[in-house]
Amino acid sequence: MKKLLETASKVSEQAEVYSIRTDSSALEMRNGTPTDLSASIQSGFAIRLLKDGRIGTAYTKNLLDREELVENALDSLKGNVKAGFSFPASVDIPGSQAPDDSIAEMGYHDLHKHSERVLDHLKGKIEGQIDVHSGRGITDLEIINTSGLDVSSKTSFMYTFTSLLFPNTETSVHKIFLSRKPADFPKGELDNLMNMYNAGLPEVEISTGRMKVVFMPDAMYTLIWRLSAAASGKSFYNKVSPLQNRRGEQIVSEKFSLYGDPTDPDDVSQTYFDDEGVPTGKNTIIDKGVFKNIILNLDYAEKLNEKPAGNGFRGGMWGGETISLLPAPSLHCCRISPGSISLEEMIASIDKGVIILGVLGAHSGNILNGDFSVGLNPGYYVENGEIRGRVKDGMAAGNAYEILMNIEHVENTLHDSITGGKYPAILINNVNVAAKD
Amino acid sequence: MLEKLRTMIKGIDADFIDIRYEIKKQTLIAFTGREIRQIGSNSTDGYVVRVLKNGGFSTATVTKEEDVHRAIELAVEGAETIVETRGRKSEFEQVPVVRDKVMLELNGDPRKIPIDEKLALTSMYNDLMLEQPSIETTNLSYSEIGREKYYVNSEGSAVSEEILTTNIAGEVIARRDRLLQNIRISIGGADGYNRLLGRNDVFIKRARIAGKLLDAEPVKGGTYNVILSPLLTGVFTHEAFGHFSEADIIEDNPSLRKKMSLGESLGTEQVTIIADSTIPNQIGYYRYDDEGVEVKPVTLMDRGVLTGRLHSRRTAKAFGEPVTGHSVAEDMRFEPIIRMGTIFIEPGEKSFENLLEELGEGLYLIDGKGGQTSGENFTFGAQYGFIVKNGILGPMIRDINIMGNLFTTLQNITAVGNDLTISERGGCGKGQLNIKSALGGPHVLIHDMVVGGV
Repeated sequence: MKKLLETASKVSEQAEVYSIRTDSSALEMRNGTPTDLSASIQSGFAIRLLKDGRIGTAYTKNLLDREELVENALDSLKGNVKAGFSFPASVDIPGSQAPDDSIAEMGYHDLHKHSERVLDHLKGKIEGQIDVHSGRGITDLEIINTSGLDVSSKTSFMYTFTSLLFPNTETSVHKIFLSRKPADFPKGELDNLMNMYNAGLPEVEISTGRMKVVFMPDAMYTLIWRLSAAASGKSFYNKVSPLQNRRGEQIVSEKFSLYGDPTDPDDVSQTYFDDEGVPTGKNTIIDKGVFKNIILNLDYAEKLNEKPAGNGFRGGMWGGETISLLPAPSLHCCRISPGSISLEEMIASIDKGVIILGVLGAHSGNILNGDFSVGLNPGYYVENGEIRGRVKDGMAAGNAYEILMNIEHVENTLHDSITGGKYPAILINNVNVAAKD
Repeated sequence: MLEKLRTMIKGIDADFIDIRYEIKKQTLIAFTGREIRQIGSNSTDGYVVRVLKNGGFSTATVTKEEDVHRAIELAVEGAETIVETRGRKSEFEQVPVVRDKVMLELNGDPRKIPIDEKLALTSMYNDLMLEQPSIETTNLSYSEIGREKYYVNSEGSAVSEEILTTNIAGEVIARRDRLLQNIRISIGGADGYNRLLGRNDVFIKRARIAGKLLDAEPVKGGTYNVILSPLLTGVFTHEAFGHFSEADIIEDNPSLRKKMSLGESLGTEQVTIIADSTIPNQIGYYRYDDEGVEVKPVTLMDRGVLTGRLHSRRTAKAFGEPVTGHSVAEDMRFEPIIRMGTIFIEPGEKSFENLLEELGEGLYLIDGKGGQTSGENFTFGAQYGFIVKNGILGPMIRDINIMGNLFTTLQNITAVGNDLTISERGGCGKGQLNIKSALGGPHVLIHDMVVGGV
């Protein structure tokens, strides 16, 4: 890496080298049977050069020819992509939690044992099919630049994803369990999942209309994607954010607070620096309904004359090869602040409404405008405080800003979600639900 | 390269082993508004190993050549673990040993076009959109992805194939005060650079639609009879039906597998669905899949009756059905999974005017805005549409998402148009991204669709 930085620094004013190596494996068990076992060892390098107020970028997976990689970045530099920012200097960054060595030592049989214990606990208690996916991984990351930055991290994780399928369908209730070290899916959480599954076994038809809706943690990304897109420095710079000129303004209910905290020690994605080497910290976007901060990487922070807050991450809505994606404004380790009541109390308070456990089509509305129109997958119908069953062919639709003005309750517990982030369930009044009339 | 790969897998203690090496070259030019956000060309590579041993099947992917030995060890260990844990017993359908080298046939080779020329073309289309009324900004990219694939297996097959896709795609965003509306745009294909030239009218038209959407009404949620435009028909065909035709999706769910038995009458007589990646000049075109099997056209549904399914060698054996050559990976980071290439509903005999007349009251929904399935349930968005009254197109509508159940909806397709359009860009995200997922069809009339509205 250092030789690569040296080569790059000779042809630019500033240079940065980013490298990543991942070692992971995964086991899928469908209907109680191991079906797929796979392993992956991937590496990659990305460089960024700054010169004359412009940026050039390049990446490769196998660093066979340093000169060629730098040459590609120089060609990119000719494209006149403007960049007024500088790479950050070296700062004191707390040492990340040491990776758990036992994750590195985990073999295929260990993954199988974790999945088997989930199946054993649920055996005979579920009418439909049970699928369990488990995996583990180690990620080594390093960023160095010509301003003296030299940061690195080694992180470990494992996950167990349990799906309970409704009979004769592929529709499921599911939950992910994430851990930094080898650990079993907590039995209490499996019991909660099982109870939720059983409540949804009857299929019910409902009528189109406005009603109360609970967004469960795995459905929350419907709203988070819209709020994040609007709060992104990119949207502000291009003047397409509905939050333009609204900082300090009440944009949603005071019961709603949204923030990112990559330093959270309980998060498997914990990191003390972003993918540009900027120190991370708690970054509040919405505080008690008031819009506070824009999500910024180095580039948009400079363009908007703001201070970067460690929100530049190489990633995207659709995944992709990390090294091929440039650092973009991103709310890492996203959170919604918990409220005061339990999920049981929340459901008991509903006279008529729908619990959205999962959604289909969160990506296909007018995201920037905050509009959504999602299939309930599944959605449970609630009447007089009791779940009556899962809704047949239902959709929920609305505008994120409008419905978040009508929050009635926020759950008192945060849960890991399948799309990352930890969220409570949120009960919202007066949401449009469409069904087959 | 093929000889080198053959040496790598020689003498491995397994019933079957294959290895794929790929070099992937990407050129990207990205605009946001008038500003260039990213430009450059890059190259990546890597290896995928798959092992079948005593009925256990496992895969490993690695980047570096020096890690190939470890990948083979991991795949062998994985296959053994599947056996030891009483996992799925796998066998491969027999296929002919193939030795072939497939070169590109392009109408204009983008690799020979200087990047400045590509930049100028993209910039010109971008400017055309930005000049239209009410347009606030754009996100528009030129993307060129070339894959050089080298495949060798222990049965003696050795195949290399180059595939290359180019497109200019993105979105145009219109704004009035706080109201934002966007329309997607894409041109491109797998048959060369020249397809991208002379397309000014497409970009102007799409930008003007985005502007008009500012005055469109949000659709009211409820149940409607609808006509889908050809590309939206394609989204339905791909999302709702197509994924259920992929054997790996239904393989481990006995009840769904029963519902999707060949010979079952699932749709109306009007519906015939074809998957055909051998049609030249389509983005879904390829010759060999990523397990060295030549791709074949498959009639998935013939006048409402299920007649075919998309398979890998393993699923073909498990289902006792023919191999189709649809085992495809995104790139060298992934093992192949079953993917659609070009899928479409075969055109019928009705003109668009006939369909409007049959619809009477309902909605005309146009162009896809992403879709998603979960088992037999699907949802997809339409970019815009029109209210239809007495068979006549009325006011423009926006914010349209549809949800349905595959089996119910196939029984509700009451008429099929006589036109056919196939998409110029793919992008299916079934775990991996498939940029070669072409889709299309004619206009179709469907009864009783749930529309979400806003």
